[in-house]
Amino acid sequence: MRDGTVRGIGLALAVGYATFIAWLYVQQPQSAAEVTGGFSASVGSYRIDPQAFDDGVQFFGRDQFAAARTAFERADPARQDARTQFYIAYSYYRQGWGRFYQDDELFARGLEAVNRAMARAPGGRIRVDDPGLQMRSGEELKAELEAGLRRDPSDFNPARILSRRK
Amino acid sequence: MTATREAIALPLVFLTVALFGGLRITEGVALLPPPLFALVLAVLLLGLLVRCGALAPERLVHTSRSMLANLNGLVVMLAAFLASAQAFNVATPESGAPRVLFNLVFLILLANTIAASSDRVRVLRSLLVIFGSAFIVKFIVLSALSHPAEGVVTRALQVLFEGVTLGSITQDVFHPATGYIAFGTLTLYLFGLVLLPAADTGRLRPAATYTTMLDPTRDAKKLEG
Repeated sequence: MRDGTVRGIGLALAVGYATFIAWLYVQQPQSAAEVTGGFSASVGSYRIDPQAFDDGVQFFGRDQFAAARTAFERADPARQDARTQFYIAYSYYRQGWGRFYQDDELFARGLEAVNRAMARAPGGRIRVDDPGLQMRSGEELKAELEAGLRRDPSDFNPARILSRRK
Repeated sequence: MTATREAIALPLVFLTVALFGGLRITEGVALLPPPLFALVLAVLLLGLLVRCGALAPERLVHTSRSMLANLNGLVVMLAAFLASAQAFNVATPESGAPRVLFNLVFLILLANTIAASSDRVRVLRSLLVIFGSAFIVKFIVLSALSHPAEGVVTRALQVLFEGVTLGSITQDVFHPATGYIAFGTLTLYLFGLVLLPAADTGRLRPAATYTTMLDPTRDAKKLEG
């Protein structure tokens, strides 16, 4: 093979590989499915599994949150779909909500998921028009999760036992 | 140096080091970019490699070379820089007193090696020792001290140790695969350094010239001649 051809191929390979590495460091994928899904999403060809998503929504409506998350993870294995991630965050919120205290671990995971949902949504704006939800935007859900994780004097307000899960 | 080595092998080797140098596996997978101090150490290391003749920049980028060849050379130097930074990243503990201490020791060792004006072979041997020692301390010694103990007595000793050191020594516990990947990454990095285009022998440091002057095989050949 000619010298110039080798150099040209090498340059293209190196630039492509470096771009791939930079993309990995920015995206921080957690699995091979996230890597392939992320690539598909970047070229606009990523699709969730609609059947698994519908199953997840049904489980969610029946307060079976762990089952709902399993279905949502199956629907969106690459964690690239904003709406599915929003539902996952919401499931953590509802499961972690308590009249006397909030489960910090579940709320923290919910916050991670809603941040992911907002990062994937166009312009960072996510809105889910589901009549079963009291909070339909990413901002509302995020604020509620952050409030649940915050320690302040309002935590000792006895009137909080009258608050309702959203 | 062949075009294949310069355009394909070296960039791929160094970019692979840059990729895996930041890999940490715990419950999830994290890719950590090099900290600022690792970039400073990488600059020093490249300076050292140029000074000792292990890297000849003029053989990578020069006006006598074609534009494509110069681009290949530039890619090699950038990739070597990133790989050096990530090699320090992987060899340095993640937190606490060991991290500060390692960074300080790396700085002193590099400065000392630069001042000593060693030749290529000695510098490469020295780097093998530096990275090898750092790997052993981080992934074997500190890992053993930080890993949750199984027995009651061992656990009690570990708690005592943590108390005495104010918890500044123990590190985050990684999945065992992290150590193996780090070992492979550092080995690949050192292999990449050996592959770099070296300076002509005439440019080598006085120490090397002196060694050449005392070469007994050459003297014996002269006598035979």
